[in-house]
Amino acid sequence: MKFFKIFIGLAFSLSSYVSLAAFEIPHYEKYTLANGLTVYLMKQSEVPLVDVQLVVRAGAINDGKRYGLANITGDALIFGAGKYSKNDLEEKFDFVGANFRSSTNKETSSLSLSFAAKDQNALMPIFADIVTQPHFAANDFTKYKKRYLANLEQQRESPRSIIGDAFNRNYYAMHPYGNPVGGNLRSVKGIELAQIKQFHENYYTPDNSALIVVGDIDSKQWKSKIETLFSKWQGKAKKQALPTFTQTAKPSQVLLLNKADATETTFMIGGKGVAATNENTVALSVINTILGGRFTSWLNDALRVNSGLTYGARSRFNSYSSHGNFYISTFTKNATTFEAIDLALKTYQRLWDKGIDAKTLSSAKAYVKGQFPPRYETSTQLMYLLARMWSLGLNDSYINNFEKNVDALNVTTANKLAQHYFPHDNLQFVLIGKADELREKAKKYGKVKEQNIIEF
Amino acid sequence: MANSFAESNVDDVKTIKLQNGMTILVLEDHSIPNANMYLFWKVGSRNEYPGITGLSHFFEHMMFNGAKKFGPKQFDRVMEAKGGANNAYTTENVTVYTDWFPANSLATIFELEADRIEHLAIDKKMVESERGVVTSERSTGLENSNFRLLSAEVKGAAFRAHPYSWPVVGHQSDIDNWSMQDLKDYHRTYYAPNNAFVVISGDVTVAEVKKLAKQYFEPIAAQKPPRKVHTVEPEQKGERRVYTQKSSITSPNILMAFHVPATKHKDHYPLQMLSSILGDGKSSRLYRSLIDEQQLATQIWTYLPNSFDPNLIYIYGVAAKNVSAEQLEKGIIKEIDNIMLNGINPKELEKVKNNAQVDFYRQLATINGKANNLGSYELFYGNYKRMFTAPEQLAKVTKEQVQSVANTYLRKANRIVGVLGKNLDSKKGDL
Repeated sequence: MKFFKIFIGLAFSLSSYVSLAAFEIPHYEKYTLANGLTVYLMKQSEVPLVDVQLVVRAGAINDGKRYGLANITGDALIFGAGKYSKNDLEEKFDFVGANFRSSTNKETSSLSLSFAAKDQNALMPIFADIVTQPHFAANDFTKYKKRYLANLEQQRESPRSIIGDAFNRNYYAMHPYGNPVGGNLRSVKGIELAQIKQFHENYYTPDNSALIVVGDIDSKQWKSKIETLFSKWQGKAKKQALPTFTQTAKPSQVLLLNKADATETTFMIGGKGVAATNENTVALSVINTILGGRFTSWLNDALRVNSGLTYGARSRFNSYSSHGNFYISTFTKNATTFEAIDLALKTYQRLWDKGIDAKTLSSAKAYVKGQFPPRYETSTQLMYLLARMWSLGLNDSYINNFEKNVDALNVTTANKLAQHYFPHDNLQFVLIGKADELREKAKKYGKVKEQNIIEF
Repeated sequence: MANSFAESNVDDVKTIKLQNGMTILVLEDHSIPNANMYLFWKVGSRNEYPGITGLSHFFEHMMFNGAKKFGPKQFDRVMEAKGGANNAYTTENVTVYTDWFPANSLATIFELEADRIEHLAIDKKMVESERGVVTSERSTGLENSNFRLLSAEVKGAAFRAHPYSWPVVGHQSDIDNWSMQDLKDYHRTYYAPNNAFVVISGDVTVAEVKKLAKQYFEPIAAQKPPRKVHTVEPEQKGERRVYTQKSSITSPNILMAFHVPATKHKDHYPLQMLSSILGDGKSSRLYRSLIDEQQLATQIWTYLPNSFDPNLIYIYGVAAKNVSAEQLEKGIIKEIDNIMLNGINPKELEKVKNNAQVDFYRQLATINGKANNLGSYELFYGNYKRMFTAPEQLAKVTKEQVQSVANTYLRKANRIVGVLGKNLDSKKGDL
């Protein structure tokens, strides 16, 4: 493959919407049931499929010290519901080619179901049971937990799969934004069924959730179906304020995770970013496209194309509702670790030294606009878009003004924003590799804290 | 027809044949203001030989490194400035280039592709730097994916004659050593218009595609067809086993493979059905039995790649905590034996048929899904039209056929077993 799949696309997962005359956010209806449940309905009938998602405002930030609790609660909802056992539910979905998944991030948890439109009457009551009447069967949980713990260990066989968690933990320290969504071996060992039931009771309530339906639907029929299935659902969510993250000027540190048989070093460098609701996210995603968001970006050009040090180098903003961070990431063979880190830092410094020129900015603007429409092509993609808009409180203008916001960006503003928002001092480093070959030289970037990868 | 709801149907696909032998399919889809171009080249690791293993994949990289009109770096710079992006992938059989762009940049894409097809400049400096990139791609795969590590060993044991023997990325010593002449020969032989199949889908018209194809692609000269891959893998008469080791793994991984015929063979659909019954979804046989009931594995899946020549069906499993490779292997074999002896039930057959229909709609939901699938069906099944009838073809499979292919192919003598373990392959009394 020429390039990582994950390198394609923008720095923000939802920073952009092209408002060509022919291409705005498709029409949708939004309303609230008497119990407080928000409902979104959007018709998309190119193919006879429907995508449904129940999204809840509760994620890893609500885990307390039981990291992984929100994620495991989402997974445990399928351990029996209504009149069905876990196996029944899995068979019912599999039999008709329906894809069910639970997915959790820092701030939300969601249950999604994708299916053929003709199966809606058979599947929706089951989906509603999973949301409102889960069994949380003990036997299923015991087996799942054992497997989950083994998976956490296996995840630590691959630096790529845990470096993001490591960077976040190192950056946010003990603030809830640093909670690893999947948890870790220590925290998950302590999670019991009672805590899962409590988490469900606290947060899976209609006033704290949205039901999103996108696809080949008849809106009138669906409204009545939703009323029947969800209007009896009751409960009020426990309110939990997120502590403010105060950015103390923490000096640069290096978290070094030792993987004794590593043949390459995987690393991230970064610092403070922006909240997902920041008014400049569109402009910053254009600037990041230039730095590390596409194939011809400065970072990829320097570390891959010119020097052959790596298969790919990138940068991105990682944004939550009230805060965010930013990082550069790549990997290289053990022997060229410090050459690559230094080259990444030198390339990054270009934002301050040389800045962005008109030609590059114009190219990045065209790229960001041109790559936008395929991101919202399918009912699944549009469902995720609506879920994110709901959870962050974004309205259509944020979406439909995307092109206008991109067009408005000029060289002066771009350079001003770059120097203001991209972190320059107190950068934080995470290196995963063979510690014996790294620990001495890593000291030049800051105080080194070392841990074994399996213990992280 | 079962897919009468879908917006695209077989009659919407138009074919353009150029005089130099290149075929272009066009599928108009005006749902978003974008389009794509998928260029399928009939060259993959099966066209290599010892000494140049990995060259097809390396070439996939070199195609971005400069031609006559657009020098080094210009292909990507020009495309991105026009709002386009691209990627590419190489398999055992094909190399595919994928361009995604706003529909009004179509002419630029034709111009860029024509330049590199006709006039690729193989710059010595770019070759050296690209060796580093591919070395990093190879090693990051081995660092992060146990499947990569194990499949290289299993393929090596499965094929002693046919070039499916080596991994697509190639052997490191070949990556380090292939010559400029190897590269030049490869481009001339395989990147000829008569060795390509192109699919364009999106907000374009057949008329404008035809005009641009005649202008940019038709003048490129055809070449003598490449040498046929005539090597037939001799029949395997007994089980083959391989062991490999990595200290940082936390539980054993198993990759089991069985020789199967090419995609065009009549047994392909029954094999697809079998693969799905064994490994697709939480209600599949292997998941239900090995992960859920017996708790022998934490992950398990099956894989039946599309293939020009006879190839392999794979079963991959990761052992649960404190479960040995032997226990997991026995568990998998027991499930296979069960199908060989007792067959499958009608409900399982029905399930796979239902899934094929829904998956078909999912493929049609995006312009990229349409382009990639049309090209893949043309190359591997012999006709792009087969994409539209695939759910029906699968629906014709009987449970007797599934049991029969299980008995023909999933036999011990036809099996290769690979184990990735934590410990060195050495013990007291047998160092």
